[in-house]
Amino acid sequence: MLHIDGVSFRYRGAATAALDGVALDIPTGSVYGLLGPNGAGKTTLISILAGLQSATSGQITLNGIPLAEARSADPRAIALVPQDYAFYPMLTVAENLHFFGGVLGLQKTELRSQIEAAIAFARLEQVVGKSAEQLSGGLRRRLNLAIGLLGRPKLLLLDEPTVGVDPQSRHFLLDSVAGLPANGTTVIYTSHYMEEVEAICQRVAIVDHGKVLAEGPLDALLRCDESVVELELNAELPPNLITRHETIVEGAMKYRLKLASAAALPRLLDDLAGAGCAVQQLKVGRENLEHLFMRLTKRSLRD
Amino acid sequence: MSRLTALWQKETLALLRDRHGLAALFLMPVIFILVMTMALHDAFMPGAAIDVGYAIVDLDGSPHSESLIRRLNKAGSFRHVANVDNPEAARQAIRDGRYALVLVLPKGFGERLLTPAGVDGQPTEPLSLFVDPTLNPALQLAFRTQTSAALGTLRADELTRKAGKLFGLPVSANAPDRDWPDEIVSIAVQNDRSIRPPSSVQQNVPAWLVFAMFFVVIPISAILIVERQQGTLQRLASLGLPFRMVLLGKLLPFFIVNQIQAVLMVGVGMFIVPIFGGEALVMPQGIGLLHWWLVAAAVSLAAVACALLVASLAKTTQQATIIGGVGNILMGAVGGIMVPKFMMPAAMQTLAEFSPMAWGLQGFHTVMLRHGGFVAILPSLLPLLAFAAATLAAAIWLNHRQSA
Repeated sequence: MLHIDGVSFRYRGAATAALDGVALDIPTGSVYGLLGPNGAGKTTLISILAGLQSATSGQITLNGIPLAEARSADPRAIALVPQDYAFYPMLTVAENLHFFGGVLGLQKTELRSQIEAAIAFARLEQVVGKSAEQLSGGLRRRLNLAIGLLGRPKLLLLDEPTVGVDPQSRHFLLDSVAGLPANGTTVIYTSHYMEEVEAICQRVAIVDHGKVLAEGPLDALLRCDESVVELELNAELPPNLITRHETIVEGAMKYRLKLASAAALPRLLDDLAGAGCAVQQLKVGRENLEHLFMRLTKRSLRD
Repeated sequence: MSRLTALWQKETLALLRDRHGLAALFLMPVIFILVMTMALHDAFMPGAAIDVGYAIVDLDGSPHSESLIRRLNKAGSFRHVANVDNPEAARQAIRDGRYALVLVLPKGFGERLLTPAGVDGQPTEPLSLFVDPTLNPALQLAFRTQTSAALGTLRADELTRKAGKLFGLPVSANAPDRDWPDEIVSIAVQNDRSIRPPSSVQQNVPAWLVFAMFFVVIPISAILIVERQQGTLQRLASLGLPFRMVLLGKLLPFFIVNQIQAVLMVGVGMFIVPIFGGEALVMPQGIGLLHWWLVAAAVSLAAVACALLVASLAKTTQQATIIGGVGNILMGAVGGIMVPKFMMPAAMQTLAEFSPMAWGLQGFHTVMLRHGGFVAILPSLLPLLAFAAATLAAAIWLNHRQSA
């Protein structure tokens, strides 16, 4: 369990604090989502957890031991996968893995076996001898992740790990990250992409202006009044239904309706069937992460 | 230790794949040594013939004018290339670029050699020197001095001959062409034994070696800036690798690169320069070789530390190339690499004392030319080591400040 208690941080010369009394509990063996717009304080928190910055105040413990002590006792316990391609473009994939393994202090047999495991995990077998600068964006992301897995960290900090990759590589990366807790690695995952966080995170914290606005299991955070209905239809919503219910158009044939009560749902479905509108998707009493975020921060995640 | 080994391996691989860096470190100084050693070959040879020809217009045609011409020919520094009939033809020849210098001996030169005012009371027509205005003024002056000297000895001989006749002393038949033992031999003063003054290769090899060592700024900054820009330094810090170890990981490989440069440049001086007609480099022997290496090691530490500071100051590789490249050229120009210090005016020689390259070059010259011992090279070693410590400390401070 990673316990963050009242952590604050202010950059030198900054007018406001980058983190202001952040308190989080991140359970072992989970993928924990850290959401927030640019400048919210996500990267600062990640930097403090990675040991690159020191909190101005507050405490952080890993399994009950202060973070700095835990890192000293086991320098490989926490690994950072930065948003940048933090490796050497002029070295091959194998040479990069060998170098970072060496810096971690891995020796001979252990180094070899961990490099092989990282290559297999990130499916880099075909490009082991290629220089990193020749890799595609997706393969570079995989190498970035593979380097982070050397040393078998207990806590892996992933900062926007899917930026700039093709859909196929994104899918592969998400599947891979989702599988990490099964191997005993706790993951803290920051991303701009709501659907990624919804897909792989069990718990989420939403931060903005250095403060935690909401925190908890994803299902609990997204649960809302059962009178709120999200619809995806095969045709436009009839005008009489729009006027009857408080309606927000969310996209092409996608609507969010606030019913008078949950009991009004059967009649709505009947009216839709009568108007020849087939329901493609229906969500009741659950808002999506984008709405939750906008409701809490009053701005879009990509602002 | 495995961490340092990993860092050293990484630096070595990165350098081996940096073709521009390798060219700057190894190819550039070899070319400079060969070209500059050949170009300055004669500039470092006392008494070597100057490749400038002169012509003579002898309007007098007397035994004395012919004697002066013979004396000038014997001096040998300038080449007597032709005799011209009249001054106008001589002027045209200079305009055409055929000669750089023409000496005109006026009519009555011999007759008035010892009576400048002339027996008839008329002033003597002076010797004229036509010069190509593009000719180095120092060479013009040298020829005038050489002519004055020949004229002086001719007058002295003539005076001696006439005085001998007057007093009834024996006079040798070839009096006008008598040789005086007036050759001056240059002897370099050193600690143990005397050898000839330094040759072009002895000046150029250490000079361009110092220059090349400072060019580690190109590969060092290329790698360090990539590490900083791509977040690799942050990743290494998150792995618990202190920044001082990152620097240590760079110091040793590039120190070794500098030593390889030293061996290569010395090899070029000893074996390649003679193939092109230059003199072979003479290296010190025994303990002198250790002193030479101490100077090379101090220059290397200063160069690598300076490169780390430039890499810390620059935001991009282009900036580092400009700051490092231009900075090195300025340090080289001021420090006596491109133009030897002794050829500079006094003010520039004072300015040269502020260039770390000058300190290194001074150290090499102390060992190679004066055969100085450890105490003699300390005035070069100490400022170099102090410079290395100061720039390294500044680089560490800058990196801490940037990451804070």
